[in-house]
Parts: sequence; C-alpha cells; structure tokens
Amino acid sequence: MAAGTIVIKKPRRTAADQSYVVELVKGLGVTFKHLFKGLNQMRPGGQRPDVTKMNYDEGVATLEYPEEKRPYARRWRGVHRLTLRPNGDVRCTACLMCSTACPAQCIWIKPAEFPVGHPSRGHERFPEEFVIDELRCIFCGYCVEACPVDAIRMDTGLHMTALDDRGSFVYDKKKLMSQVSQDGDQLTANTRPEPGDASHGGITRLKGH
Amino acid sequence: MPTFKLDGQEIAFEKGETIIKAAYKQGIEIPHYCWHPGLSVAANCRMCLVEIEPAANQRPMMLDILVWDEKKKDYVVAKKPKLQPACQMQASEGMVVKSETSEHVALARKNVQEFLLLNHPVDCPICDQSGECKLQDYYMTEQATSKRMRDEPNHKPKGVVFGPTIVYDAERCIACTRCVRVCEEVIGDPMLDMRERGNLYEIITSPGRQLEGHYTMMTEWVCPVGALTTSHWRHKGRVWLLKGTQSVCPGCATGCNMWVDVDGRENTAFRNRPRENEAVNQYWMCDDGMLTYERVYKNRVTTAKVDGEREKTADAIDEAAKLLRGGNVAVVLSAQRSVEENMVAVALAKAANADLYLTGKAVWDGDKILRNEDQNPNRAGALKAAGVESLPSVADLVKKASGYGVILVLGEDADTQDLSELKSKKVIVLATHETSGAWLSVANVVIPITVWAETDGTFVNAKGIAQVFKRALTPRGEVIPGWEAIAKIARSAGHDTGYTKLAEVRAAAAAKGIEAAPLKKQDGVVPSTGTPRSTV
Repeated sequence: MAAGTIVIKKPRRTAADQSYVVELVKGLGVTFKHLFKGLNQMRPGGQRPDVTKMNYDEGVATLEYPEEKRPYARRWRGVHRLTLRPNGDVRCTACLMCSTACPAQCIWIKPAEFPVGHPSRGHERFPEEFVIDELRCIFCGYCVEACPVDAIRMDTGLHMTALDDRGSFVYDKKKLMSQVSQDGDQLTANTRPEPGDASHGGITRLKGH
Repeated sequence: MPTFKLDGQEIAFEKGETIIKAAYKQGIEIPHYCWHPGLSVAANCRMCLVEIEPAANQRPMMLDILVWDEKKKDYVVAKKPKLQPACQMQASEGMVVKSETSEHVALARKNVQEFLLLNHPVDCPICDQSGECKLQDYYMTEQATSKRMRDEPNHKPKGVVFGPTIVYDAERCIACTRCVRVCEEVIGDPMLDMRERGNLYEIITSPGRQLEGHYTMMTEWVCPVGALTTSHWRHKGRVWLLKGTQSVCPGCATGCNMWVDVDGRENTAFRNRPRENEAVNQYWMCDDGMLTYERVYKNRVTTAKVDGEREKTADAIDEAAKLLRGGNVAVVLSAQRSVEENMVAVALAKAANADLYLTGKAVWDGDKILRNEDQNPNRAGALKAAGVESLPSVADLVKKASGYGVILVLGEDADTQDLSELKSKKVIVLATHETSGAWLSVANVVIPITVWAETDGTFVNAKGIAQVFKRALTPRGEVIPGWEAIAKIARSAGHDTGYTKLAEVRAAAAAKGIEAAPLKKQDGVVPSTGTPRSTV
C-alpha cells in the first residue's frame, strides 16, 4: 500500500437500516415535533412578535395573497412616481442624473428649456418627455438617490403588475406624474423658492447700489 | 535652449515665453482660467499665481500678513512671498518656480477658487459645462471646502440670447474675458464687451450688435465655465455620456482637426470640438465646421436603388458590375470623399481603362482666418491619388458625353446642375445624401456609402498635409464604406483592384506620397474620464 493512503471502512447496513422502519419513525418524529411546535406557536400569545403580522387577526400565520397584502415598509422600492410642485408642474429639472446613474438604462429624458421671458428661464429646465421602461428597471433605487431635487421617488408601494403587452410597461411623463405615494401624496419635499416668487431675489444690478 | 525649474523639473523655453506657456508646451498644467494659449494675456483671474524664488543677488519680495495663531487665540504678524501670475511672468534662465510645492500658492489658489464661487449659483445638475468645467475641476483639486458665505448671492440675468448660436448665463460667469478676447483677437470683430464692475460684472453684446458671423461658437469653446452655451448643444445631453473621436473637419479644404463627440447609447453625434494643431487650425474652428456633425443623418441615402426601385446593397453592386462590363467607362472622382475611396476608384479606372474626372461642391465664402474658398476637404488628395496635377470637371464630361456608355460617380455632388445630356447613359452613383447633388436625378444604380464620421479615412488639405480621421459612428441602414463598394463592384465586373483591406489601400496611398502622421494619444478624448475637455 502506498504511503499517505487513507483507508476508509465501507459502512455496513444493518437489518434495521435495510428495513427503513426505524428511520421512518425517526423522520416522522421530527415532522410531528415541528407540527406541535407550530401548533403551540399558533396559540394566541404563543407566537414571536412579527411587526407585519401584528396588523392581522391574532393567530393567523397565512396571508391570503393577493386579496390580502402585507403593508410594505416606507422605504420599500415600488413603481416610480414624479413629484409635483405646488402649482402642479413637474418638479423634475431634466438634469439626467437619474438616467446616468441607472444601471439598467431604463430612463430616457428629453430636456427642454423655458422660453425667453419665462421667470424660470435659465434657472431651470424641464423634461419635455420622461420615459421609464419598468420592464427593464431592476428597482435598485439609484435614480431616487441621484435626484438632486426630490423629483423622482419609488414610494408608491405598488408592484409592477402583470400586463399583456410590453408597451404598457413603458411609463411616460403623464403616467409617472399621476402616481401617488403610499400616503396619497404627490408633492415634492424640495420646495425651494421658485424664480419669479417674491421670496426669490431679483437681479441685483437693477435694485440699485 | 534656456531652461528654468518648475517644482524641481527643468523646463525649456523660448526667449520671451511666459512660465505658463512653457509649462503648457511640456504638458504641465498650472491652474488657470483667463489664460489661453491662443489669446493675449489678461491676468485677471489670479488663479495661476506661483512663487518665484529670488535670484542670488536679489532681496526677497515679502509681504506682511496676519496669520491665526491657535495658541494665542489671536492673529499674529507673519510674512509671505509676493506671488506672481505665471501667465504674465516671462521665464528667464535659471529661474526657480514653485507651483505645486508651495504652501503659499496652494492657499492662494484655494482662496481665489472660493472667491470665484462666492456668487456662483452652483446649478451644476442643469449646467451643460458640468463634467468639463474648470470650476469643478479646481474645486476638487484646490479647494474642497464648503461655502462660508451665508448671504444671498448676487442675481444676474440668465439665459440671455447673444445671437443665433450663443446663450449667456451671467450668474455662472467668472469674467475671465476669454470670449471678449476671442472676438477681438481671433474674429477681429469686437462684438462682446463687459459692463459694471466688482461682483456685478456681466458680459454684454456691443450696443446694437448681436453675436454673429462665422466664428461665434469659439466664444463658447474658450469659456472655462458654463456661462456661454451653444444653442445646438444646450440642454441636449450630458458630457459624460459622450465619447470623443479624433477626426478632421470635412467642411472645407483647411482640414481643421477636431473631436467628434458621440453618445454611444444612441449612436448619434452631439457636437464637434476643435483639436489643437499648430500647423492647421491652432485652437479654432468655424461655426459651419463645428456643426458638420448635424449633416451626418440629415437626408441620408440609406438603401440601394436600381432604376428607382429599392434593392439590397449586394444586388445593386452586382447590377453595377453588370453595367460596367459594357465598356466605355468614365470614373468621376470626388474631392468630397477620402483618399482611400479615390485610390480604389483610380485603380478601378485603370483596370477598366476608363477616363478620370473630378467633382466636388461649389466654392463658398472663404476668409483669411480659417475658411478656405474650396468647400471640398480632399481636392489635393483626390488629385494625388490619380497621380496628376489636374482633372477635367463634370462640365467637361457633359461636353464629351457621347464617348461614354457607363459613368461611375463617387459621391452625388456635381459642379454643374444640368446633367440632362447624361440621361441616356448608365450612371452608377455611390451616394451619401439625397439633396446635395444633381447626380441622383440621372442615376441608374445608387449604392449607399458611409460619410466621414462612419469610416476611417484620410483627407489632404489645401496645404498638402495628409490627416487621418477615425470612425466615430456605427453606420445605419445598409450603408457600406465607399472604398469597399468600389472594390466589390470592380471585383465582380472583372476589373479587380487588388484591394480587400483598408490597410492595403493606405499602403498604396503611402507609396504615392500620401502619408498622414499617426494620431497622437491625446487627453480630452473621453470627457467622462475626468480630463478637462481641452488641455487649455
């Protein structure tokens, strides 16, 4: 026998092993142990506290999805929405940060400029078109993090539902602006003074020295 | 050559050269805003301040300053050397200059940078300069502290239309006056000026004028910040999505060197930028050259046609070969097309025993700055490829029309619009655009070929300098490179040119004396790598 060889003895089956009876009883023992343990936990008060289950009737461990749905955490990332200014315009300034950050390249924006004479001209721009392909989206939330003006959010609490054609998954600006958050909110949290507001300083030169 | 020391490195300079220019020639950047190698010295931004050690027999020039003493909790009097602007200070033999190694210089740059950003709106997310902005670059390298001023910054006019091509934002402006100097020194027409002083400065157009002419986009090109933007690129995209390709302007016989910036996701060119070349265009380009990228997809011929019917490109090539076998061939070279395409066309003409003609676009308004009267980028190259001093034009071909049965035309441009004499002939046109020339009206076979941006090639400019350009865009439709189309036609017609690869065509061109210097690896290729968009 060559040096360094390890000899492993072949395991031999006994009659008890070969008949499977003992092992069957042992296995059933484990099954029943968990069954009784589970039954014990189903008794009111016997269950470990689960934040999401606490909203439901006591003792129920099964959720009748999709009739019943778990309430999602506030930071859960669902389908996108575009937030609005107080006057109902889109908050987005079409800076393309979200489409740059997007690893799935599912955001396409066509920026446009306010015309000469508009109070926002030069200060801001806006998206003429804003399209998200929700089929391509991987729901990573980078677009929300990249947004400098709180214009895009994923707090709608909505799944991407199953639809029967691909075109329906491509959300345009109108669709995105109509989405609401879990609280039913549509406004942006970024309420800077708008150009043209009284709180926004006019051109310094024209105010005299 | 005399030398001076910059941060311990020997820098050679010519007599009268400034420190910053000598360093720039060596590829060393001393931070600056208002200085530009192609413009006069203004020395108003104070960013390029450097410390110059006094000569052995000189008393050091020191200034009294107050420095905060942490132990005494008070300011104490200290001394610091008087810093000099590197853009204005002439280099002299044995000078010892400290730029990156001086703490005084570092502090001065930090303070200048903070001062320039005092009233800046910091609207980088919607600013088109963002990503290639000197304010951003030097903020990261020299300042990197937050703003201390808590007052409302000055507000100035935004989105002011200066002319058909330029829009101005006064809040982003740092008053370096590069644009004013471009107008005065390069264009020779003082269209821009400055009003007010202190922190209320603004660039304005001269009274009763707007920013117009052939070189307006150079004002935007020299702007180190986002104050001047072109209406063509403004709000179209972001610079970090673009990739630059070294190219040559196809607009006229000057052959200005340029970058073509392409968004690879959309396979679309978004802008051109001048590429520095002292021998050709220095730092500049004209507006028409800057906008040549817009022509690439406008009115393009994308599918082959035989007798007006749409065909596959391969079938059209077979049809063209069939026509060529008829004999009595005339081949029309094009001054619009690259050397490689003309080389293969010349080889075909030789094999088919055909006569050569030369076509191109009509003369346009040239000037003494950059624009050559000849609108064709490669007239010299086409003639060199044919190995002759001059070639007859299409007008001459019309006169001699009876002698030919088949005409193969490179490009759809014709120097004469009346081609009715050629209606009875079999005409094969290798076309790019539908609108620019008359040849398509008499064409029997149309084969779509690439334009300059979609293929590698060479142009020889009016001075006889051969320059290569690289492929920037992927061809759309059934478009194939022009040299390949001609080589394929020739092969199936039995007039083999012997060319199957571009390298073979280039080697043959080199044998005829058309050899371009290889492209240098230059920075500014990809703005997204964090390299400033130009070295200036």
